[in-house]
Amino acid sequence: MLFLTPALLLLAVFFLWPAATAVQLAFFEYDIVSDPVWVGLGNFQRMLDDPRFWTALRNSGLFLAAMLPILVCVPLLLAVLVNMPLRGIKVFRVMYYLPVVTSMVVVAIAWNYVFHQRGILNWLLTTLGVLDEPVQYLLEPGWAMPALVLVESWKSAGYYMMIYLAGLQSIPRDLYEAAEMDGAGPWQRLVWITTPLLRPYIAVIVVLAAMDAMQVFTSVFVMTQGGPQDATMTLGYYIYDEAFRRFDIGYANAMGIVLWLILVAFSMVSYRLTRGRMATT
Amino acid sequence: MTLTRRIAVYGVLSLIAIAFVLPFLILLTSSLKPANQPLHEFPPALVPLPPVLDWFIEAWTTIDFPIYLWNSLMLEVLTVPAYLLVSAFAGYALARFDFRGKQFIFYLIVSTMFLPGEVMLVPRFLVVSQLGMVDTFAGLVLPGLMSAFGIFLIRQAFEQLPSELFDAAKMDGCNHWQTFRQVALPQVRPTLATLAIFGFISVWNSFIWPLVVLSSEDKYPLALGLAYLKGTFGDDQRSMAAGTVMAALPVIVFFIAMQRHFVEGMKGSVKG
Repeated sequence: MLFLTPALLLLAVFFLWPAATAVQLAFFEYDIVSDPVWVGLGNFQRMLDDPRFWTALRNSGLFLAAMLPILVCVPLLLAVLVNMPLRGIKVFRVMYYLPVVTSMVVVAIAWNYVFHQRGILNWLLTTLGVLDEPVQYLLEPGWAMPALVLVESWKSAGYYMMIYLAGLQSIPRDLYEAAEMDGAGPWQRLVWITTPLLRPYIAVIVVLAAMDAMQVFTSVFVMTQGGPQDATMTLGYYIYDEAFRRFDIGYANAMGIVLWLILVAFSMVSYRLTRGRMATT
Repeated sequence: MTLTRRIAVYGVLSLIAIAFVLPFLILLTSSLKPANQPLHEFPPALVPLPPVLDWFIEAWTTIDFPIYLWNSLMLEVLTVPAYLLVSAFAGYALARFDFRGKQFIFYLIVSTMFLPGEVMLVPRFLVVSQLGMVDTFAGLVLPGLMSAFGIFLIRQAFEQLPSELFDAAKMDGCNHWQTFRQVALPQVRPTLATLAIFGFISVWNSFIWPLVVLSSEDKYPLALGLAYLKGTFGDDQRSMAAGTVMAALPVIVFFIAMQRHFVEGMKGSVKG
């Protein structure tokens, strides 16, 4: 099987070997310089007593709770809009997709200008009377996370929109025509035809969006460095920090495994749920 | 659709478009504003008066921008062709050959999608350091060459080819290699193009892995270089904006030129 050799070799060296290393090192204390020391379940016990771990877990949970509904619903509405048979609709699709192909670093830097104390967002919100005073979004603990949720959702909305769009284009048009003849308005058609028929796509998006939300990292790294006061420190960022700033490799690995277990459990549960409901309709 | 409804829909579409484009626009105007025009003010001024290229020149000459650019281009050249080859080889074998353990290998490859990059970050770094590849382009490139997404997409393309094609190749006396190279590969060119585009963009934007693997600043690709500059160069927001625009522009232009392939690629990836 000469054709498969390169892929299998890479699979073994860069996926299976690291995976085995991860499991093994989770039970060791290791700082790269000295030899690993066996600590049994010590790393996992340490997590239980580590307030920063719980903060990170809670923050990642909050990212998930905030981003999942946004990324499941908003892109669906966008997809319905850009699926309309209008002239020039492709231009809108391209514009909505633009943040997806741009580096998160570029996006984060661009939003820094938007979030500036005398930036456009503060001008807009104070002019509309939503805010009395300009806010330093990235420096206030209460504002930093919503700000990052906004940036992350803004960046990936177009991606999920395209997935929905592929789904929408697979729905036969005569279904809508029949519903229209029966007097169903646009909203009713969305709820009673589009959404049920898009269930497989929704299932995929729930899993992908959850993975995205639980792994928020680059925006945190560039915009807040986990601050202010750990308000945006996600699990991914904490793992990076422990491994590559404090060289606490064993502990970081153990947390990585916990993150992985959470992701797998979440994907399985949500996949079962959405598929299960599909079977009953 | 009535005219009023049509206008209303265009209005909504345009408002959303502004929300998606405005941050980029602000970045662009910030990079073009002359020194005596404030960057941030109420109400915001979106037009540079007059536009100047000073900050682009500054970003190009006084910071290491050309080096980062060169590194990103090098990475593209090293990664994308190899990525296509690995994917095409594996996809072809999984689509066209029968052998023991094929299902198992396929599921093993697909299961790597559930090993997200961030979870693998630390252990993969340890493996790369054991291989002596820390701070090298090899350590940067090799782990990304095997991608379940790429293999999956191209396997699908090979499966859709009619079997008559392969029978004919056999009758003409082609061996496996010739069949692959001269018969099958040219047929899946659109899929290869899609993969190349996705590969190009993901290499251009790669950040976390270079951040972990590289320690010398003169090896940084663009995205990492920008993040690094933001730390050291943070006060000079104008040059920063200019550097960011230069880093983003190639990929945006590339995307707009190639956008047709994107939609096809997205459709293919969901069908699976």
